This record gives sequence, C-alpha cells and structure tokens, in this order.
Amino acid sequence: MLDYMIYIIAFVVGSILGLLYSYKQHGEAFVAVTDFNTVAAIISIVGWVLAFNAGNVILSGIGFLLAGFIMGERPGYGRKESAVGLIIAIVVYFLMHWTV
Amino acid sequence: MNLMANILIQVIIAFLAGSLLLGLHRKIMARVQRRPGPPIIQHLLHSLKFFFKETGFPKTVSKPFYIGITFILALIWVVGVIAGPVAHDSLLILFGVYAVYKIVEHNSGSSSGSPYGKLSCVRAVLSAATELPLFAAIVFVYLVTGTMNIGEIITYQSVHGPLIYTIPLAALMFFMLIITKSPYSPFAITKDKALISGFETEHYGLLRGFMHFSESIAWYVMLWVFLTIFFGPLNAVGYLIGMIVITFITGFINATTPIFSPNHSVMTQITIGAICFFGTIVMIFTGVVA
Repeated sequence: MLDYMIYIIAFVVGSILGLLYSYKQHGEAFVAVTDFNTVAAIISIVGWVLAFNAGNVILSGIGFLLAGFIMGERPGYGRKESAVGLIIAIVVYFLMHWTV
Repeated sequence: MNLMANILIQVIIAFLAGSLLLGLHRKIMARVQRRPGPPIIQHLLHSLKFFFKETGFPKTVSKPFYIGITFILALIWVVGVIAGPVAHDSLLILFGVYAVYKIVEHNSGSSSGSPYGKLSCVRAVLSAATELPLFAAIVFVYLVTGTMNIGEIITYQSVHGPLIYTIPLAALMFFMLIITKSPYSPFAITKDKALISGFETEHYGLLRGFMHFSESIAWYVMLWVFLTIFFGPLNAVGYLIGMIVITFITGFINATTPIFSPNHSVMTQITIGAICFFGTIVMIFTGVVA
C-alpha cells in the first residue's frame, strides 16, 4: 500500500503546485479557455504515460506529480490537455499489455 | 508490513482519496449545473486550511461534548478504516461505526447550543431511517454468504461471483446510504442549508478541520465497503474506477434533485428500503437467490 500512498501524495502535491502556478500565470476572472496548450499537453502525456506504465514507484510517482500539475490547474485550464494525456496513457497501457 | 504502519498508510490514503473524491463530487455537481466549479483539490485544501485557522468557542457550548465529539468523530472513522481496508474484519463493526456516527451527529448539534445545531440534532434522530436499510443489507449479505467477515465475503465472491448479481436490491439499499451521506444529498436533512451547516454550524478552526478529515475518510470507507461486499475481489484500479463512477452517479443525482423535507426524506428512504427488503425476501424464498 506504500506505493499507492506515494502516488496519491505525488498527485496531490502536483495539483497544489499546478493550481498555484496557473493562478500566477492567469489572474483574470474565469474564462472558458478554448486554446490548446501544447507544452501542457506534452507534460500531461509524459505524466500519465509514466504514471500508468513506468512499473517503478519513483518514475510513476513523478508521472503522477506531472499529471496532477496539469489536471490541478485552475478551473478552465488544463482540461483538454489532461484528457489527451489520459487517453494516450490508457492506449499505451493496452498496447503494452496486449496479448493475443 | 507492520500493523501500525499499515493503519497509518491506509488512513492517509483514505483521507487524501476521500478528499479528492469529494472535490470531484463538487466539480461534477457544478458542471451539471453549468458552473465552472472549484478545482478538484479544493475540498482537501479546505480541510487543511481549517487546521490552521483560529478555533473559537461560542458562549452557548457545552465544552467537553463540543470539543470531544469532533475527536470521537475522527476516531470512529479511523476505526472504520481499521475494520475495513486494513483488517477485513466484521461488517458488524462497520455497522457499529455508522451507529456511533449517528450519535456523534446528534451530540455535535446539541452540544453547540445553537438553534441550527439543535434542529439538526433532532433531524439526526429522524434520519436513522438511513441506517435501517443498511442493517437489512448486511443481514442479506449474511444470509447469502453465511458470514459477516469481509475477508470471507471476498472469498465467497471470488468463488460464486459478485453479490450485486445475487442480491441487487440489497445493494440498492446500501447505495441509498451512500446517496444519503453524500454532500448536498436530497436526503441530507441534517445539513439542510436552511440550518446553515446543520450540526457543523458552530464548529470552527481545528475542530472543523477534524470534521472535514472525518467526512473524507467516511466517504472513502463507505465506497470501499460497498464495492468490496457487492463487487467481489477488486484490485486498486477496480476500486479507483468504482469509486469515481459512484461519485459521478451521486454527483448527478444530487445536482439535479432538491433536498426533501424531513418527512418526505424519511418516507422515501423507508419506502425504498421496504420494497428492497421484501423484494430480496421474495427472491430468496422463490429460489432466485441460490
């Protein structure tokens, strides 16, 4: 269970850092952002793929930290990027565990 | 692993996972109501914030109860974690946890001396209608599996398949409890906004922090028990998906349903409980349940 605790703490820490960072970047009142942030998407993809597929507590922990960083951004930001990262990570997981 | 370390780890997981799930619940409700909603981490941040706020004591409180009750609340849900995820012990202990929780809800309201707390305390007695279907559900699980031990119920399901297929109406009764205990539930008459925050209204600072801590653990334990006794042996991913799905469902229900008046709430719970109870008895005696 220790590994799950590390993952969840990493995700929570990432979310808090993401929230602080995005409020520093965007101080304006709520806007529904339609732009796609490529850098955030890459971080999210790397994070979720590592989290699900690393097979190593430290790498998965780092993955959850990165994934939490994007997913934890202030409302309106990081939604699409998180969805893309999550979908790609799930696809990679199934490709790696696919047995015929 | 050392038992104490295991308990500590499981309590931390329960608190963090429960907080995130309650944050998700709030987010889902907001999205259904076409609001942006707070970040998912918000419930956890609120809980942590309360631990560092100044703790005030209203003049009307009965201090020993007012202070003690919050620690008892936290303690009983830690016991819930120990009896459930850690030890896979008896369901009766968990039923005892719910029973004590009801008493704590009652005393928390009455010890504050606030009219809102007192009214919430009276409603806590009425809402015991929630615990009756829970007890009935536990009885049916016992009748089918022949045991109250969670570990043995898991073993039974690994051989015979998940109990949700065998006694779905009992699962529905348990699900009623989950809906009732979820935030902004139509059955949450003790926390009706007409009573400000119900039995929690007069608890501030550190004491409120303990209440938030307990709420998060309670949500996790409830979902864990439901998934464990009705969906058979699950791995961590199964629990995660199950908890998120149930949080989604309750979020949708609570976002679209106004709170019932106390009499409607109790009557609805008793009616659904009675239908499920007699439905399951009919299923058992007609041989539908093997």
